[in-house]
Amino acid sequence: MFAYYLQLGLRSLRRNPILTALMVVGIGLGIAASMTTLTVLHLMGSNPIPWKSDKLHYVQLDNWSADDPFFDDGRPPDQVTYRDAVALMEAGKADKQAAMFKLSLPIQPENKELKPFQSLGRVTYADFFAMFEPRFKYGGAWNRDQDHSHARVVVLGKDINEKLFGGQDSVGRTVRMNGVDYSIVGVLDDWKLHSKYYDLTVGAFSEPDEFFMPFTTAIDLKQRASGNNSCWKTPADGWDAYLDSDCIWIQMWVQLDSPARLAEYKSFLDSYVGEQKKLGRFPRPINNRLLDVTEWMRDQRVISRDVEVQTGLAFAFLAVCLVNTIGLLLAKFTRKSGEIGLRRALGASRREVFAQFLIESGVVGLTGGFLGLLLTGLGLLAVRALYTEYKTVAQLDWSMIATTIVLAITSAVLAGLYPTWRACRVQPAAQLKV
Amino acid sequence: MLKMTHLQKVYRTHLIETYALRDFSINVREGEFVAVTGPSGSGKTTFLNIAGLLEEFTGGQYQLDGVDVHGLNDDKRSKLRNEKIGFIFQSFNLIPDLNLFDNVDVPLRYRGFAAPDRKKRIEEALGRVGLASRMKHYPSELSGGQQQRVAIARALAGSPRLLLADEPTGNLDSLMARGVMELLEEINRHGTTIVMVTHDPELAARAHRNVHVIDGQVTDFDDEPTLRKPALDDSTAAEAVA
Amino acid sequence: MELRPILSALMRSKVSMILIGLQVALTLAIVCNALFIIGQRLDRMHRPSGMNETDTFWFGSNGFGQGYDVKAVQQSDLALLRQMPGVADATSTNSVPMSGGGWGTGVNLQPKQKTQTARTTLYMVDAHALDTFGFNLVAGRNFKPEEIESHTQSERLQSAAVIMSKALADKLFPNGDALGKQIYLDDDSPASTIVGIVERAQQPWVWADNDSIENATLVPTYLPYGNSTRYLVRTEPGRRDEVMKAVEQKMSEANPSRIIGKLRSIEQVRREAYAGDRAMAIILGAVIFALLGVTALGIVGMASFWVAQRTKQIGTRRALGATKFDILRYFQTENFIITTMGLIAGGILAYAFSLWLMQNYQSPRLPWYYVPIGFLCLWALGQLAVLGPALRASRVPPAVATRSV
Repeated sequence: MFAYYLQLGLRSLRRNPILTALMVVGIGLGIAASMTTLTVLHLMGSNPIPWKSDKLHYVQLDNWSADDPFFDDGRPPDQVTYRDAVALMEAGKADKQAAMFKLSLPIQPENKELKPFQSLGRVTYADFFAMFEPRFKYGGAWNRDQDHSHARVVVLGKDINEKLFGGQDSVGRTVRMNGVDYSIVGVLDDWKLHSKYYDLTVGAFSEPDEFFMPFTTAIDLKQRASGNNSCWKTPADGWDAYLDSDCIWIQMWVQLDSPARLAEYKSFLDSYVGEQKKLGRFPRPINNRLLDVTEWMRDQRVISRDVEVQTGLAFAFLAVCLVNTIGLLLAKFTRKSGEIGLRRALGASRREVFAQFLIESGVVGLTGGFLGLLLTGLGLLAVRALYTEYKTVAQLDWSMIATTIVLAITSAVLAGLYPTWRACRVQPAAQLKV
Repeated sequence: MLKMTHLQKVYRTHLIETYALRDFSINVREGEFVAVTGPSGSGKTTFLNIAGLLEEFTGGQYQLDGVDVHGLNDDKRSKLRNEKIGFIFQSFNLIPDLNLFDNVDVPLRYRGFAAPDRKKRIEEALGRVGLASRMKHYPSELSGGQQQRVAIARALAGSPRLLLADEPTGNLDSLMARGVMELLEEINRHGTTIVMVTHDPELAARAHRNVHVIDGQVTDFDDEPTLRKPALDDSTAAEAVA
Repeated sequence: MELRPILSALMRSKVSMILIGLQVALTLAIVCNALFIIGQRLDRMHRPSGMNETDTFWFGSNGFGQGYDVKAVQQSDLALLRQMPGVADATSTNSVPMSGGGWGTGVNLQPKQKTQTARTTLYMVDAHALDTFGFNLVAGRNFKPEEIESHTQSERLQSAAVIMSKALADKLFPNGDALGKQIYLDDDSPASTIVGIVERAQQPWVWADNDSIENATLVPTYLPYGNSTRYLVRTEPGRRDEVMKAVEQKMSEANPSRIIGKLRSIEQVRREAYAGDRAMAIILGAVIFALLGVTALGIVGMASFWVAQRTKQIGTRRALGATKFDILRYFQTENFIITTMGLIAGGILAYAFSLWLMQNYQSPRLPWYYVPIGFLCLWALGQLAVLGPALRASRVPPAVATRSV
């Protein structure tokens, strides 16, 4: 029977090609607009590390001026000072901890055919790799001892290893950066992140880090961060005064394996800030925060307002397309009330008529969904062209393809439901007399 | 009132010419009640369409109430239709989405009467067909006979000089048909000329005069009809409506 | 106008009317707000920077290795740039308008002031800055060569003379007498004297609101970031692209132990800075376009269906004396009624939507005139869309009335 209804549906759709095209294009456009924006929204906000996102916490302390809050709404500053970061690292109260900052360094390749180039990387602690779990292609992370000994070691990203060493195992070799040789201890494999969630202070969709080196080493070499630096009091002259200042330029993450550990760490932070207050620092009331990964992403608005507004508009657009389809199907089915009456008179049950017309609207939905899928692909291409930094989030994955198809059929069936129901109310006899 | 001489209507397709009417002549005088009969396909409907200015003709002459309608443009024909002719259709042709009041109102609106005048006419016309109490009802709530009465009221409301009826009882049972027929006769007595197309000989027999059409030609044309003079008081009643 | 009978006929087929009305309502609400957002973005994108954007480009130089004398390199680079053919002038600077990165600080009128009077960006430049940027000096004078100080990143910034934008000067000194006055850049720095005022100078962050976007101060200082220096170059008109190539070549040759960063014309800087706004405007424009298209086609579809459904009725009306024009007008009036009902609902929806945007996205209130303009546009759209079906209706021959089926 299904095959028969399908055949009827297709024949009926072919009979009014313009009306059918109108409905299919309408659904297709609506689906494409909503799925394009939804995909971007979904990937932007997707949890980058679902298995432990509730264990990784971003440390925020409020060391800001008594007269002026850092954020007008009272949120604490988004970075910490050097002296606090180091104090927290040395205290080691969390299960794992990593202070970090962004650093731009010139790389001088051994291979003289390559010109020196500027490279963006990350300065951090050994725990970083255990906390954020990038996969290694060769070698591994440096260890905590190397943190302590300010070792001149480096972990390279996959791309830069490709560039410098043709993708070969470079562990044990050295790379010269700003006149200093670092020995390579590890090379990362592909690390595809939809957003660079471990450092949201310089934009969630900035280029991936090309190298990683110990925090202590970089400080030894007096390397200044390439990220944001904010001071509420101008530091005195000199490098040591800068390190000692209340300028914030470091991101601090801790891993806390249980809620109990989180509570412990919170009270540790409170007592730490209490101690500092005795030293005359932290003039503001205690305002420590330990947001986990998803909370931090929300706080930093990884999903931009524009994308949210676009998604809202796209779904409103889909609603318009659906209302449009309801109207057109209603028109179509009403016109066929004669046929329905005849079928009913010839013995079709109300359910069978219902099935026949629902299948017809389902076919419209499926075709519309397929068109929508194609257009979503184009839409994402357009998004990538318009927002160059969104290349990691403007991609279709299987879950989104499935969502698209489900959305399309649901939409069309929903849109077809009312007209079909109306069609079924036709009395068998009503339409037969002329 | 309605005078056709040597009227001709040809339907042309690129292959064939079909004569719907050929050399069709008829003269209906004021106050007459003429029945046009004939088998189906004889050209009755074409005659009616041309008489009602719904279709143009290809040859001959047609004078409606002294106006030569040949070559009139669409708007002028619409105006003429609206002012001089009242239509009664076989399937009533009431507008299902309008109540009786609004249905009767349709031709009056196109006539451009003022609202109070329209209201008076509608109430009178519906009163004449005995449906004054159901003005707010919709056609689907009425029986076939009642619907045809509404259609008659609609035809009468503009006080036309000529009533064209197309198988007015074709969709009605005999009891309802008799009622409608009596109503038409009553209207005719008040002075309105009626031309009725029908294939029912019994109905035709009640008209003053029968015109038989076969193959687009009048075969039985009685030039000297017996005309019943309308009573004077009846005619004033008709004037009052106008 | 036969408004009432059309209306009562419509009330008999509410669903179709509600569907079209709903579509029109949503369309109006979306189109008004989307157009408003587009307008805001276009306004943002066209805020003037105050500088010459057509003939300028900027780039960075990153030195490496021990023994790299960044101060000496900076001086020789500037000398080299200024004598290159096609170069009108060049200056060192830490940032340029719209670049997205720079130095921000508070400005105070008193030393040790607790809360800042205003905030400003600092452009650390030399005496060639006014000429290179193309800032228009409206009061006072340019920096003198001897005023240019030389600092490193770890040193406290101080400068005796500053030049600032008129917007900032007026903010600090609302009486318009800023020239010659003293200000304090941050909490305990020594006083700086305002020696010049430029008509307009934008700060580097385009997300700044219109109130603070022109808070900019020029400080006469050579201040390399580590081994990094940055230069802005203005070329003779029309020679920018050619000079950019030559400069890239020359700079790399002049010193092998450094990396010349990507050279960016200021036009490109502007493009990149507003790429998000541009994208938003394009996307919303596409949504509006598609929405109007779908709505128009929906009206065409529904009206066509209604005409087909009411062929007999149209014939009857014609038989009863309606002219072609009467029929045309019937369908246009009908469309007008439905559209108007949808528009009334849509007007409310548009303001509700705007309210939601205001609450969630700090968006400004939708100006009142958007909705009436939207009314006019959608009325026009509706009338255009219904014209085809209505013309088809007017061509229904009156003889349809006597057809038996």
